[in-house]
Amino acid sequence: MKEYAVLAQDHVKVDALEKVMGTAKYAADYQMPNMLYGGVFRSIVPHAYIKKLDLEKARALPGVACVLDHTAIPGKNRFGIIFKDEPCLVDDKVRRYGDAIAVVAAETQELVQEALDLIEVEYEELEAVSTFERAMEEDSPKVHGDTNVNVTKHLEYGNVDEAWETCDVIVENTYSTHILSHMFIEPDAGLAYLDEQGIMNVIASTQNPHYDRNEVAALLGVPQNRVRVKQATTGGGFGGKLDISVQLHCALLALYTKRPVKMVRSRTESTMVSSKRHPMTMKCKTGATKDGKLVAVDCYMTCDAGAYSSYAPAVIGRAPVHIVGPYDCPNVRCHAVFAYTNNPMCGAFRGFGVPQAAVCHEGQMNALAKALHMDPLEIRMINAHHVGSVIPTGQELTESVGFMDTLKQARDKAAEVMPEALERLKPE
Amino acid sequence: MNKITVHCTVNHKPVVVETEPNKRLLDLLREDLGLTSVKEGCSEGECGACTVIFNGDPVTSCCMLAGQAEGADIITLEGISVDGKPDLVQQAYMESGAVQCGFCIPGMILVTEALLAKNPNPTREEAKQALSGNLCRCTGYTKIVDAVLLAAEKMRGEASR
Repeated sequence: MKEYAVLAQDHVKVDALEKVMGTAKYAADYQMPNMLYGGVFRSIVPHAYIKKLDLEKARALPGVACVLDHTAIPGKNRFGIIFKDEPCLVDDKVRRYGDAIAVVAAETQELVQEALDLIEVEYEELEAVSTFERAMEEDSPKVHGDTNVNVTKHLEYGNVDEAWETCDVIVENTYSTHILSHMFIEPDAGLAYLDEQGIMNVIASTQNPHYDRNEVAALLGVPQNRVRVKQATTGGGFGGKLDISVQLHCALLALYTKRPVKMVRSRTESTMVSSKRHPMTMKCKTGATKDGKLVAVDCYMTCDAGAYSSYAPAVIGRAPVHIVGPYDCPNVRCHAVFAYTNNPMCGAFRGFGVPQAAVCHEGQMNALAKALHMDPLEIRMINAHHVGSVIPTGQELTESVGFMDTLKQARDKAAEVMPEALERLKPE
Repeated sequence: MNKITVHCTVNHKPVVVETEPNKRLLDLLREDLGLTSVKEGCSEGECGACTVIFNGDPVTSCCMLAGQAEGADIITLEGISVDGKPDLVQQAYMESGAVQCGFCIPGMILVTEALLAKNPNPTREEAKQALSGNLCRCTGYTKIVDAVLLAAEKMRGEASR
């Protein structure tokens, strides 16, 4: 075998030394002279108009540098990675539990908390849309605009309707996956300051510094070259740090106070407002011949995407094209509908919807194996992608298709370490 | 708020700190002493990121008040390295590929140090048991446990690399 410089060699990662020495600087580790601490006043209702917001008592507290609501924003107040639908600070209405309503900067973290406790708000509560089904009903309250449909996607390949006639066996099942938090070990944190040239600098725990820069510039109403974003050493993200967290709030407070402002979210706050994995329901009909060859798959995929879009338009592009999994199938249809609700915002999370689709296609393969009295591994091998396979997007796989080898190795390893489990899978 | 004075040993040096009585040991170390290797992950003793060695035992510093440090001997990750170079445990973590985002690593390394000081030849099971109070969200733990066993080998002078 050819010797490579990197492949199949032991290497110490470039940033391992500073991390084992404890010198790597994460966002919460940054300190600056004259620095203020920031905090966010958040909604405790999921869907409401704000009737009254009183910031005066908080502003009057000694040691509080500034308290701001949406009226302080000099530029735009709509953000989001693809659709700009999330406010930095609520202006028209609250759309989820934890929406940011006001921000505070103060001399100490204790004073930030005291100031937040002095903010008074009156809500006019609206019915909370808490399921996909309710979101789709005609008389449901609309989270944004005049429809709760966030995004749809339709995949059509071959001729599914005609294909059922040629199937010897058809299995139909519905699969639901649940919402999930990334629970990155480092809660979101960041710091913003204006430098001597008037450039807004943001140091943050983020996966997306270039995007953050665009958003901060839009918030402040300045060109992108007036904003600099630096990614601090980041303690895990898994997709959950692609969306904006503290960057906008810190920058807004730094703009008004002309002092560095640091925000460190508690675990509770971080979990409450960071994005989540999209929960999906997949109603799937799968047909095969009696010798186990897949003939057709038809899936209706629905999702409660939460209050804001985040990466939903990307996730809905990925999940349907993976609805058959790594298996050859000549006839595929997947219709996907993602809805806005007043639940937590869903976004990017390792796999962009593909793991959800896997719950469906692997469940269907097992159901087919059972219906045909076949070994579940064998039915997968019969249908496994190989070089030359054409996937439901019409793309031909021309190289590097390792699925069959993976299945064989997994089978051999399972025979070695868990023979009894393999025995249980044998067809009746 | 009246301040309190805490006398303790931190990273082998005697320390006298005047601080607020409502601070946690975590805040004393991070804010008053600038030891930012001590990480705050959950603030309720679940994740282990804020672990320090306290009189020889690993403890979560988010669940102790600063005043409880009076008279104690405390080691943070900053006190582990030798002359600015990684010690055998730190080397083992680097070589085993146990470090990804790194946020849990200070706690992991300190737990490993405390374990190996008492048990220089742990089994894989004992290593897992020792690390059971520390969460990692990146690695899946396999390489972290590998690192503990490699560190033990190195400390016994048996490691080949």
